[in-house]
Amino acid sequence: MDTKFSRRDFMKVAATSMGGWAVSSALPSWMPRMAFAPDGVEPPGDLLVVIFQRGGMDGLNAVIPHGDADYYHLRTSLAIAEPSAGSDKTGIDLDGFFGLHPSLQPLKDLWDEKALAIVHAAGSPDPTHSHFDAMDYMERGTPGEKTIETGWIGRHLQSAPWQNTSPFRAIGMGGIMQASLRGPIPVTTLQSIADFHLQGDTSQLAEIRKRLESLYSLGGSLDADAKDTFDAVDLLSKIDISHYTPTGNAQYPQTEYGMALKQIAQISKADIGLEVACVDIGGWDTHNAEGATDGDMPKLLNELGSGLAALYTDMGGLARKMTIVTMSEFGRRAQENGSGGTDHGHGNCMFIVGGGVNGGKVYTQWPGLAPNQLYGPGDLNVTTDYRDVLAEIVQKRVKNPNLTQVFPDYTEAKTLGIVQG
Amino acid sequence: MTISRRDFIKTSGVFAAFAALSACTPQLPTAAKITGHSSGTSSVGTVPLTIANSVTADDPLTVLTLNRISFGPTPEMYARVNQIGLDAFIDEQLDPQSINDDATDQLMTRFPTLTMTPAQRLQLPQFSQPIQELIAATILRQWHSNRQLNEVMVDFWSNHFNIYIGKTLCRVLKTDDDLKVIRPNAFAKFGDILNASAHSPAMLIFLDNAESQKSAPNENYGRELMELHTISVNGGYTQKDVTEVARAFTGWTIYGPKSIFGEFGTYQFAERIHDTGEKHILDLDIPAGGREDDGVKVLDMLAHHPMAAQFISTKLARRFVSDNPDPALVSALANVFTQSDGDTRAVLKAIFQSDQFKNSAGQKFKRPLEFLASTLRLTGATLAGQSQQLVNHVKLLGQIPFDWQFPNGFPDTAGFWATTSGLLERWNFGNLLTSNKINGVRVDVKSLTADAQSAQDVVDVLSQRFLGSKFPDDARSILLDFASSGDLGSKLASIAGLILGSPHFQVR
Repeated sequence: MDTKFSRRDFMKVAATSMGGWAVSSALPSWMPRMAFAPDGVEPPGDLLVVIFQRGGMDGLNAVIPHGDADYYHLRTSLAIAEPSAGSDKTGIDLDGFFGLHPSLQPLKDLWDEKALAIVHAAGSPDPTHSHFDAMDYMERGTPGEKTIETGWIGRHLQSAPWQNTSPFRAIGMGGIMQASLRGPIPVTTLQSIADFHLQGDTSQLAEIRKRLESLYSLGGSLDADAKDTFDAVDLLSKIDISHYTPTGNAQYPQTEYGMALKQIAQISKADIGLEVACVDIGGWDTHNAEGATDGDMPKLLNELGSGLAALYTDMGGLARKMTIVTMSEFGRRAQENGSGGTDHGHGNCMFIVGGGVNGGKVYTQWPGLAPNQLYGPGDLNVTTDYRDVLAEIVQKRVKNPNLTQVFPDYTEAKTLGIVQG
Repeated sequence: MTISRRDFIKTSGVFAAFAALSACTPQLPTAAKITGHSSGTSSVGTVPLTIANSVTADDPLTVLTLNRISFGPTPEMYARVNQIGLDAFIDEQLDPQSINDDATDQLMTRFPTLTMTPAQRLQLPQFSQPIQELIAATILRQWHSNRQLNEVMVDFWSNHFNIYIGKTLCRVLKTDDDLKVIRPNAFAKFGDILNASAHSPAMLIFLDNAESQKSAPNENYGRELMELHTISVNGGYTQKDVTEVARAFTGWTIYGPKSIFGEFGTYQFAERIHDTGEKHILDLDIPAGGREDDGVKVLDMLAHHPMAAQFISTKLARRFVSDNPDPALVSALANVFTQSDGDTRAVLKAIFQSDQFKNSAGQKFKRPLEFLASTLRLTGATLAGQSQQLVNHVKLLGQIPFDWQFPNGFPDTAGFWATTSGLLERWNFGNLLTSNKINGVRVDVKSLTADAQSAQDVVDVLSQRFLGSKFPDDARSILLDFASSGDLGSKLASIAGLILGSPHFQVR
């Protein structure tokens, strides 16, 4: 048992300095109040929710450039029609040039409230069209570079100038930890709050627990993970999960993604130290039968959008201290293929939602879709490095100034003004 | 909210899988009863449970080897090793047809969709029946088959050539891929299984080649064929190569559900949509005018490419030896691979004979399915009825067969699986299973410890059975301390559950 299995390969690094911020929101009585940080040094910034759309979202059909005639030349069967009043099968106009896919209707209210910003023609500068390399680079935060083992969120947690010892400081929803979370700071992976407790012969559970803790204290490589697990179980046991009602009648999609978002709201409101949550939503690899206004992709878009809207609504006043950001490993080929789908591409769009977002605006240097403007085999070009978006959020909203550690060797960061602060 | 069909299996579909399984299997044999090697007759569910506790296997290499080549070494496997020796046992496992597996075959007859045609599966009133049955059949085989190394290799290739069963027609086609592509080629030459996979209707649908045509090639298969099936992302190909491979495979498709020219769900080469132009892929030049042989040439070139030898050897070493295999071992295996024309058996033998293998104890963390199957095999668990709860646990453990959306297959390194929720679920599953709190699944810990006279005996007998050896002293004293206080009889299940939850049981 001398093999290192987990993130614990990385040396623990203590926080070096502290900032000051005190929380004083009126929380329901069922929520426990707990302090993981020394007095007065609670995390100063926003809850960060990172949504990864696995498979490569077709950003050209999510946020359509209806003002670009080439879009309609390239998308002969998949194009979303120009916005037209009274129709629910056409684009939803945003600014006269871009429009939302009609299945993203749930996002329109957020846009009108200026709680939603969109960055278009965004992505990673690395040219790979491999899902796995592209995801890997994006989650490490080091395009083209695989020598750094940690993820960008892991490095953010490590370099943040405050302390937080909560086992729920960072959570990965689902059974497998997102690569962006890799690093020395413990991460709790979670599928279901309701199942997250020790089970067995109830009359002997306390004894079983004691022996398990002993068995996982013998110097094995799983010891640290086991300790985190017990800590997380103890903390979660103090939350009354059965009496949770989303605020504002928020309607989460009845899917794993929707349930993950709902549990993030629960954990966040319980005030047990949550700073970062990662969620995946899969199914975006639409090579075939993508669907224009009806089909797989429209359904996924609706799931994505209604989840974002539900989380924003459910967080109520706390949404002022939350930023959600979406990303996908790459966009898709500008020209649709012969299967009613789209092949792997490059540039894409990202959604940023939250109370501190300078919303109601599409941030882009639109590269165009004419043949001489396309990238590589015919892809939307990337004019905004996705790290510009993340770096600005980390700095201004999450309040970690140590960007050189979060995105090493990335010195060309541009400030886009997507968020306040 | 409507659920995308790509998410189908994650929600309603698989939840019923074990309902199909348990309804079809009134009483399963315990692992202890499937001896098979010498018996020509099966005695499914009729013979009382007896456990050969006297069989011990303290030889570390035997324990290691059996853990790696199976989903959990039963007392019967150790007994067979004692009888014929470890090398002969490995040889026997490498030749699955030599091993009687009638009892498992008999179990499979309970799943009607396994022998249906794709057209018949398509007409079933219950949409998810083929999915449920294939998943249930897979878990049952891992649990019960005597051909354990065969199941390990089937699992390996099923992930290498992963097909997500929830994607469109894969629902009714993956069963054929399992039975006609993966299983007959579990120990094949690499070129043969690659060729079979390229013709597999389920693969043609999953990676969209069935839709690819000369006017608009779909490059999904072309890319993954190189990146994931053969020469890896480091194989030195370019986007141009991807496009050219896609062109070479235009026309490789299937007869659709409404075809009047051929049987639905079977392979066809559709010449009219094939791109007959010349193609250049890496160092291969394909002249204009080719037909189906364009794709065959590509497959042949890729199967014999040095990077394929490297890639497949790396993946096999990762499966059987360690998450980060020694480059020297990989290099040696790649030589064997090349010299044997990609013979899987030859590579496996080289692995088992290597020092790196022999010194790799503790280096592989069980994936959820390996944990699940090993608990069921080693506890002699039986299915006695509907078991919705077992289904829920498979889902919570986090690895439902064929429920991986990406073409790369389930990860095979511990970093993905050693998580907080993963550990907790393993502890819970062990505790609930041994205390018979999972409806429909029965474990008789009392009979497993029938020979035990004392707390010490119980701990030693159970650890011998579950781990192949006694616990190291430090862990043993923790369990003895627990077992020695209070009424031993009431603690048997918890002792067994603790062993299944121990760090020692999480490795194979």
